[in-house]
Amino acid sequence: MMPALPLVRRPRLGLLIAAAVTITVPSLLAILALVGHEQPAPVVRASGTSLGGGSPPSGLGMRLLGKSAAAGTAASYQGVELIAQRSVSGPQTIVSEVWHRGGLTVTQTSDAGMLASSQPYVSYDVSDRSPEGVFGLTKTLVALLGKHYVAVYQGTGLAAGRPALIVELNRPDGSLAARFWLDKQTMVPLRRDVYDTSARLVSEEAFVQVQFGVLAPAPTVAATVTAPAGSQWAAAPAPAVLVTELNRVGWQLPAALPGGLPLYTAARSQTGAGQVVDLCYSDGLSVVSLFVQRGTLAPKPAGWQQVSAGGHQVYVAGQSVIWSGGGFVYTMLADASPQVVTQVVAALPQDTAPGVIERIRRGLERLGAIVDPFR
Amino acid sequence: MNHLGEQISALIDGELAGADLDRANAHLAGCGRCRAEAAELRQLKRDLRALFDFGGDDGLTGRLLAMTGPDLPEAPVPSRRLPGEQYGRELPEDDGRDKRPPRGRGRGPARAARPARPAKRSRGRYVLWSAISLFVIGVGTAAFTMGGTGGSASPGPKITPQLEMFSVEHAMISGDVPVPEPTEPTGGVTSP
Repeated sequence: MMPALPLVRRPRLGLLIAAAVTITVPSLLAILALVGHEQPAPVVRASGTSLGGGSPPSGLGMRLLGKSAAAGTAASYQGVELIAQRSVSGPQTIVSEVWHRGGLTVTQTSDAGMLASSQPYVSYDVSDRSPEGVFGLTKTLVALLGKHYVAVYQGTGLAAGRPALIVELNRPDGSLAARFWLDKQTMVPLRRDVYDTSARLVSEEAFVQVQFGVLAPAPTVAATVTAPAGSQWAAAPAPAVLVTELNRVGWQLPAALPGGLPLYTAARSQTGAGQVVDLCYSDGLSVVSLFVQRGTLAPKPAGWQQVSAGGHQVYVAGQSVIWSGGGFVYTMLADASPQVVTQVVAALPQDTAPGVIERIRRGLERLGAIVDPFR
Repeated sequence: MNHLGEQISALIDGELAGADLDRANAHLAGCGRCRAEAAELRQLKRDLRALFDFGGDDGLTGRLLAMTGPDLPEAPVPSRRLPGEQYGRELPEDDGRDKRPPRGRGRGPARAARPARPAKRSRGRYVLWSAISLFVIGVGTAAFTMGGTGGSASPGPKITPQLEMFSVEHAMISGDVPVPEPTEPTGGVTSP
């Protein structure tokens, strides 16, 4: 009976070894596959403000977005864009005809609600800069996206009737922030949807008609329009230094905006009303341009709607918001959700209704300034 | 001894004359009772006169008006005078004649005429204070109105933001198309 035991145990040992190998090998392969996949790495990258600037975004999703930003500059295309977005003043729809070739971009934009009654107005910018990309995909903004979001390639789809690659942007908490459709052939962005933190769609930009390659000549309006006065902007080499210097002489400029929007570029220009400073804040997806100039806001401009935002009275038109505070006029153009716009307005100086004594004191100073011939 | 009797009253009222007056005075010199009675009658007459004089003084209104002016100490203070003291020093103690100054002369009329000047002065002050008040109210209203707009004390230039220019600049940076003006559609042409 005793010699029979090993005969019985040997098959069991082999069975155990085979079972262990069967379980372990696929598990190891699965772990290796997960480690090598792009998704975990961006989670680590996006979660940290500790990420150093300048490191190129890695991962397939970010690489695709980077290629798309370059294609938006290099490719020749023309088409019609439809832009629908939610703003603090309500929904807005814009239709824009776009023509792009060899670094020259011609856009003719109209408010969809005014097409029937208004003549198109065309302006010409003479600066040496032009839009770098399409639907917010520029090289600079893609670099910022890599610091604040996780890009995930989600497969293929269709946009404007063309095959497209779909890339999703997720926030560090995993919620969806935006979805891009990139033309499979040219990599030019065809569509972008942006969602707020409540998963609501806040903007949708898409080509409803697009053509690549051989284009018709540029629109004839380009030859007839004139340059708007004072459109020369001088970029500041160090935006943070500019902000510090101006704040030292009485300006009230923020170094960053609520919603995690750091300052990333600044420029100055001279107009008939004095110096204008343009500060741009962005996390790569939301872009806020803040134009600041000394003075007080003129009486209610035509076409602007007065609303309450951030606890203050401001004038809005689409994504533009204007108000005055502390002796400065602020004009904000925002590609951002109404939630972010409201937070930004609340964080910046505002003219509040003064008390009776303060109002009389201020009025006496103004009267004195009027009657004083030496001022 | 025959006392004066009803002649005392006539003596006090100044109705005796000639020999009657001489006899009455001679009797008073030697009769203490009649002298005392005559003194009481004079006192009673002064009291009655003082009562009528207080109510019929034409200068009372003027004195009251003068009390509102800065020369208040000059105004008479009736409460500090007892009845009968007002003209007591002017009345003879023993001749029985009423030497009260006639109305319209002496201190009475002078006192009545004096308040006219402070009244004019008061009206001037009223006008002055009214003018100052109107000036302060006017300037205050203007300051209140002018101080209601804008955020800084200095008027500063009135700014109408050049949205077209800003929109093109924003489009350069954001990679989006320029947004239209609030009142009319906008286009943008950009060149490198």
